[in-house]
Amino acid sequence: MPNDKYANMEEKLWILEDLNMMYIRQIALSLQDSDIQKKIDHEIRMRDGACKLLAACSQREQALEAAKSLQTCSTRIMAYMSELQRMKEAQVMQSVPRRSSDAGPMEERLPCKGKVAISDLRIPLMWKDTEYFKNKGELHRCAVFCLLQLGGEIFDTDMVIVDRTLTDICFDNTIVFNKAGPGFELRVELYSCCSEDDYSAGSTPRKLASKLSSSLGRSAGKKLKAAMEPGPCSPVSNGGASPLLLPVPSVPGPKYHLLAHTSLSLSHIQDGFRTHDLTISGNEECSYWLPLYGSMCCRLVAQPHCMTQQMMSGYLKVKQCGGDPQSWTKVYADLKGTSLFCYHRQEDVDANVELAFTIGINKETRIRASEKDPQSKVQQICVSNQYGGEEVTHILSAESREDTHRWMEAFWQHFYDMSQWKQCCDNLMKIELPSPRKPAPITPKQGSLYHEMVIESSDDLSCTVSDILARRMQELELRSQLGMSPTWMSMFEENNTKPAAFPRQCPSRLSGHSPCSPHRPPRSPASPPRCPRLGLLSSDASLTSDSDSHCSTSPCSHHRGWPDPSSNLSLVSTSPFGLRPRTLSLDAKLSTLRGRGYGGGGGGAAFQCPCQPPSSSLLAPLPISSRSPRSQRGMQTTLSCSSSTSSNSSSNSEGSHSPESSEGVLFSRPSPARRSLRNLRARLDPRNWLQSQV
Amino acid sequence: MSFVPGQPVTAVVQRIEIQKLRQGENLILGFSIGGGIDQDPGQNPFSEDKTDKGIYVTRISPGGPAEVAGLMMGDKIMQVNGWDMTMVTHDQARKKLTKQKEDVVRLLITRKSLEDVVSQSKGQNPRPGCFTYKH
Repeated sequence: MPNDKYANMEEKLWILEDLNMMYIRQIALSLQDSDIQKKIDHEIRMRDGACKLLAACSQREQALEAAKSLQTCSTRIMAYMSELQRMKEAQVMQSVPRRSSDAGPMEERLPCKGKVAISDLRIPLMWKDTEYFKNKGELHRCAVFCLLQLGGEIFDTDMVIVDRTLTDICFDNTIVFNKAGPGFELRVELYSCCSEDDYSAGSTPRKLASKLSSSLGRSAGKKLKAAMEPGPCSPVSNGGASPLLLPVPSVPGPKYHLLAHTSLSLSHIQDGFRTHDLTISGNEECSYWLPLYGSMCCRLVAQPHCMTQQMMSGYLKVKQCGGDPQSWTKVYADLKGTSLFCYHRQEDVDANVELAFTIGINKETRIRASEKDPQSKVQQICVSNQYGGEEVTHILSAESREDTHRWMEAFWQHFYDMSQWKQCCDNLMKIELPSPRKPAPITPKQGSLYHEMVIESSDDLSCTVSDILARRMQELELRSQLGMSPTWMSMFEENNTKPAAFPRQCPSRLSGHSPCSPHRPPRSPASPPRCPRLGLLSSDASLTSDSDSHCSTSPCSHHRGWPDPSSNLSLVSTSPFGLRPRTLSLDAKLSTLRGRGYGGGGGGAAFQCPCQPPSSSLLAPLPISSRSPRSQRGMQTTLSCSSSTSSNSSSNSEGSHSPESSEGVLFSRPSPARRSLRNLRARLDPRNWLQSQV
Repeated sequence: MSFVPGQPVTAVVQRIEIQKLRQGENLILGFSIGGGIDQDPGQNPFSEDKTDKGIYVTRISPGGPAEVAGLMMGDKIMQVNGWDMTMVTHDQARKKLTKQKEDVVRLLITRKSLEDVVSQSKGQNPRPGCFTYKH
């Protein structure tokens, strides 16, 4: 009976695992290295936790994350164990008495270690056109992440969900390995897991599921078949190491498979982005397949310790060759990076006081020991550099013979390091660590608004749209509060050239506006620097005129009325033009949005209708600003309220966006970004009835 | 001014020729339009039929070329230089009007008062006509 067999297998596996653990513990004990053992124990605990979490998960996302941690833990365990074995072997080898012919130089010069950082990983995808533009059918999604391994350190990146709307897989993490030698090998592995489980758990929304036809399409059927049968793509969860040593317990749930891998080493390091080839495993038939372009882009840099740390320091007497024989300068010298920094006193090093001078120590420097100084009987060190064709030599004299010896040793070590680390020692490469403050998860995985829209039959379409807009505003706010406003936001802050003649009125409502002021926590009422933004908010302000009383009341005083439908144009409650009731809710929603500063760019045309007869008749009574004759004709976007409160600006309630034919704009022609943003907002807002000036 | 989709539209129209005015580096006409098939027709204050998604003149700059040519607020633009304006998006309409290479636009516009006049005169004259007259 198959069930029994499986049960037996599982039991056997568990027993094996226990045995393995004992074996490992023994090795660790014998090595008297409890460090690795602690790490292994830790990882095993993490792995057990991940297994339990996986079993208990109901949500797909959680399950994927748990599976990812499971994979990482397993790989780490494998790595630690191989490390243990290596150490054991080394120990065994050492205890065997060496034959004299085997003995190499007892003290081999070892290069210094360094930090290696990899960041901005990007893996381009190559979807077929048909896939990319396919509008029907469910999205084939995969969850992917990268495992990076260098020496004994293994790190994983965040998980990214990939589907055919993405052109590249981007991992934003910066991973730093601290103890890398120059001969390092950084192994990058891309794991992926199919993220649709429409066939198994009922995670498909019921409505959608009911709509899906019952028959499986050809590709879907193939995938299902591949998932069912173990084939060439069947999960091999351990990285190829001996399968019996701590096998991964099989847990139901998503499993990651190796999709591609590559190895990076010193030659791939560059202070910039480079493309590397990926070796892809798996083929189209696999469920976890993604059409990779075949390469990977990343920034791989290294900071060897010889560049960042102080290699040697001490007091020296320095004399420049060709100078006065008696002009010895006593300095405190500090060997770091590509120079020997000479300070007047030791305290200066930390105090960052200006150096006495600097002697370059780089690949072109030549150092040799010269004859003993007749007086002190100490050998002198000559350092020669080529400065633009001229050879400059400095003579260093240490205080004692041991010091001289140590300095020479330090110089030799330094040269050796530089020869080993090669291009990393030319300049110090910067490693940017991600800021400790994690930005709020803002960008939705799919960029388009339409993907976010969930149309439920019962809900009002307008509610949905305004909800989405509200959410976006929240996100924007969040982002701006964290100081990470999108680039176009900076446009708003810079534009302070608005004329002072600007509407004050608008009340508390407007005061609460604009997400464009990242560091202004309490919303203060409108002040001059805010004017630019106020201008942009014009149509929004006017938008609320329907539902909000204050903005609308004042205009009513200037109510010129339309030729025709003028009478009922005050508040929406009277439903002008037969506006259907649902517009009311949209208004209300939008007014709350306004309160939160919706529309950093909402200059799109608002139909000011109810309260803003935009006709020229309204403009007449306004004190026209100096720009006037033009301004009458074509104000782009200004506050509607202003018109009512008779501010000086010749305001026109119409927002417009005909950049080609505009003139007399109140502020300098809006930059394309702002214009497009405004356009976008205007278009998104169904409440707007666009008007353009021609 | 309502229409039945799929059926030919008949309307009493007036031809208006507007010379664009150069202002700086732009050629302007001096009026604003609203409407379009991508806009919400219910918010158009000028249309009689609230499902009419045509392009309407919403504002005339006083003293501008449009006013001089006789365009009035509330007019519905049917054609611009031969291009149809009854079934276009807002942006398409704007583009047709703001071509920098052209310095004159010939519009076919219609307005309620035209229809009224025609139907009134129908009582006197059995044959409906399309006649132009300046306000």
